[in-house]
Amino acid sequence: MFLRLVADSFGRRPRHKLLTGAALALGMAVATAALSVALDVGDRLAKEFRSLGANLLVTPQADSLPLEIGGVDYRPVNAGVYLPEADLPKLKTIFWHNNVIAFSPVLEVRVASWTPRSSPSSATFVKPAANGDSVLIGTWSNHSVALPDGRSFLTGLGQTSPWWRVDGSWFQDGAGECIVGKAFAERNGVIIGSPLYLGTTSSDGLSLKVTGIFTSGGSEDHAVVTSLSIVQQYVGKPGQYRKLYVSALTKPEDDFARRDPKTMNAGEFERWSCSPYVSSIAYSIKQVLPGADVRVVRRVAEGEGQILTRVRMLLWLVTGAALLAAALAVGASSAASVIDRRTEIGLMKALGAGSGTVGFLLAAEQLLLAFVGGGAGYALGIILARLLGERIFGAAPEPSLIVFLVIIALATGVTLLGSALPLRRASRYEPAPILRGE
Amino acid sequence: MPGFRSTNRAMFWRIIRRLLGANRGRLFVILLALGAGAAVTAALLNLQVDAKRRLTTEFRAFGPNVVIVPHESSEQTLISMLDQSLLDRIPDENDGMPVTKIGVIYVIVSAYPRGYSFKDGPRRPSNAVLVGTQVPNPKSALPGNALQNSESETYKASVCKVGLKAASELHVQKGDVLDLTNGMSSDHCYVLAGDGYGSAEDNQIFADLEIGQHLAGTSGRISQIQLIVSGTPQQIARFIAALQQQLPEAEVRPIRQFTEGEAKIYNRISGLLTATVAIVLVLTGLCVMAAMTNVAMERKNDVGLMKAIGGSVRRVLRLFLAEAALLGLAGGMIGGAAGIFLSIGLGKAVFGVAARPRLIVYPVAVALTIIVAILSAYPLRRLASIRPASVFRGEA
Repeated sequence: MFLRLVADSFGRRPRHKLLTGAALALGMAVATAALSVALDVGDRLAKEFRSLGANLLVTPQADSLPLEIGGVDYRPVNAGVYLPEADLPKLKTIFWHNNVIAFSPVLEVRVASWTPRSSPSSATFVKPAANGDSVLIGTWSNHSVALPDGRSFLTGLGQTSPWWRVDGSWFQDGAGECIVGKAFAERNGVIIGSPLYLGTTSSDGLSLKVTGIFTSGGSEDHAVVTSLSIVQQYVGKPGQYRKLYVSALTKPEDDFARRDPKTMNAGEFERWSCSPYVSSIAYSIKQVLPGADVRVVRRVAEGEGQILTRVRMLLWLVTGAALLAAALAVGASSAASVIDRRTEIGLMKALGAGSGTVGFLLAAEQLLLAFVGGGAGYALGIILARLLGERIFGAAPEPSLIVFLVIIALATGVTLLGSALPLRRASRYEPAPILRGE
Repeated sequence: MPGFRSTNRAMFWRIIRRLLGANRGRLFVILLALGAGAAVTAALLNLQVDAKRRLTTEFRAFGPNVVIVPHESSEQTLISMLDQSLLDRIPDENDGMPVTKIGVIYVIVSAYPRGYSFKDGPRRPSNAVLVGTQVPNPKSALPGNALQNSESETYKASVCKVGLKAASELHVQKGDVLDLTNGMSSDHCYVLAGDGYGSAEDNQIFADLEIGQHLAGTSGRISQIQLIVSGTPQQIARFIAALQQQLPEAEVRPIRQFTEGEAKIYNRISGLLTATVAIVLVLTGLCVMAAMTNVAMERKNDVGLMKAIGGSVRRVLRLFLAEAALLGLAGGMIGGAAGIFLSIGLGKAVFGVAARPRLIVYPVAVALTIIVAILSAYPLRRLASIRPASVFRGEA
């Protein structure tokens, strides 16, 4: 009989139920879309922030003080300490290996450059008159790193410094090719395809072919960039590098993350090392690179953390506002549907139903509506979130079970709350005046 | 005829008053739904405009994003220099947002701590890069590595910040005195603890521009100027182009790592915000409309009665639309005001600064609410086909 009454209520006033359900579904769709986006946005934005390049810098621990001005090291080549390139595949074996998205080792040396005398194909080289000294940077362009587990990982400077713009193409690793900075090219009249001679004298140097001209907006614009192995050979430091840029996906640091891991107890340390804070990633990289000093590039990491925190908070607040509006509108709609059923309630009470039974019946109706409306709203919201995610980040957020549960719980809570007040009043109705139409 | 019309009008308003007052519960429900919608609309619109502006200033956290260097320089920052008076020729503002200017000089100096004990090993001066900085307009908040004036005052003398790595290499601690020499010039400074920056700054000594110039043996010359320019990517690009025209003797260039990264992130975030706000607004509107329509459908009896005593369909409809518009106005005004206050609070929570209320948002929110209210009363048109008799018989 109970079920029949509920079914009858739906069958008798389909339009009303449909409208209440629609309000509910739309409200819950807002909530779902906003929640899905807010949950997903941290990861997506963390990826976007990688366009700022490396957030970790690895240097030799025992190094002498670099005399670095505007990105150029003024120390002689034989000063300082180097790190072994052979250790690098270990970066992809650390606990956070999936968060390490790119790394590139760098070895720099100051050289003099010669460009062809008359035509690009001319065999004789002249040392350019103006500012002969330039910097030769050895690094990876699109280097395949063989990992210990047999797979390989493709990485290079293009990923750790994504703001570099190359006209032409990147050099091939170890192929005797190079790219030159725009300022260098303009000063020395170098064009794509021309040969370049670099060295301290005209006989012991390197002959490279220019495959591209790049702009970085930094001091590198005056430099020549070629593959690491060529520079290693030229400097006589095979298999070694001096600086390593690492780009990693991180979680914004909070106060806990900034604590010194040495002062933590075992439980705290575990929690710290199991969160992808930039400092805990730095810590685990240090574990696999002996003799290296892993430093967080504060300028990138902190700016990123600050902005990520703000944006996330902003979105949560928008979500909160959306939830509130949806809840109020849905609550209002359920309240309306109860208020207008006074006659029915009066009749039921006149026929001997207790306040509890009446309340239970109406609540059951509302619950059924909440489940149906909430489910429909969730589906609609997921579609919206997908559209939003694809348009903005090119990737849709994964539908998550948590969001579904939250939405259903919210729908139930809101409808029950919305109808609670009118229901309480309904339970106090005297049937006689209602049936008389007063 | 005018008399009839005015009676008519008085009657019209009287009916409306009665319609509104007849059922307090219903009135409350309607105002709640409309007010909630208006509040969210106003809050989000206000926050959205403000948040984008704030975001651009948030990017200051990344530090300098524009640099001014001598032409044909960079690798010879030690040789060619800029005139210090350039600093005054750079505007302090860009489209109403502050521009922080930092004059910088680089000198390679020999540095060793005063009172260095021979027990700790031979007294060996180390070479280090000294960065002299000056911020002519320190009022604008400055993140990162510049010296704060207050620190300088507590020591009543020249102070320097020594980078983490440089400090361990030179064996100096906070409070030590560092002797600096370069060629014939020498100077000294009190050491302040430096932070770890994770970049070249860790190897450098930061001091006042004057110390740097003294050691470099120049006055009125600087190596480069760093600028922190806030604004949208377009605003920054315009600023750079305008500045380059103003300063033909130097090269103004963006630090692409930050300008491009910032532009990309800004576009994503503002797109995300706009899209989320748009979806929330549309759905909230629909949701309020559905709730309202539900209420409107309950007016069957009223319509039936009005028609029975001779009201024409048009007049009945006008009555209900007027009622809806009034409700929308009331809900919109209450909700809109609440929403603006809400957005002030939200802005404070997110950015630490209260969002500036934009007055244009208020009428927009109210107008939108009225439109939603009228649209939700629209299904009453269907009631025009009601036959009064069947309503009174309790049918349908």
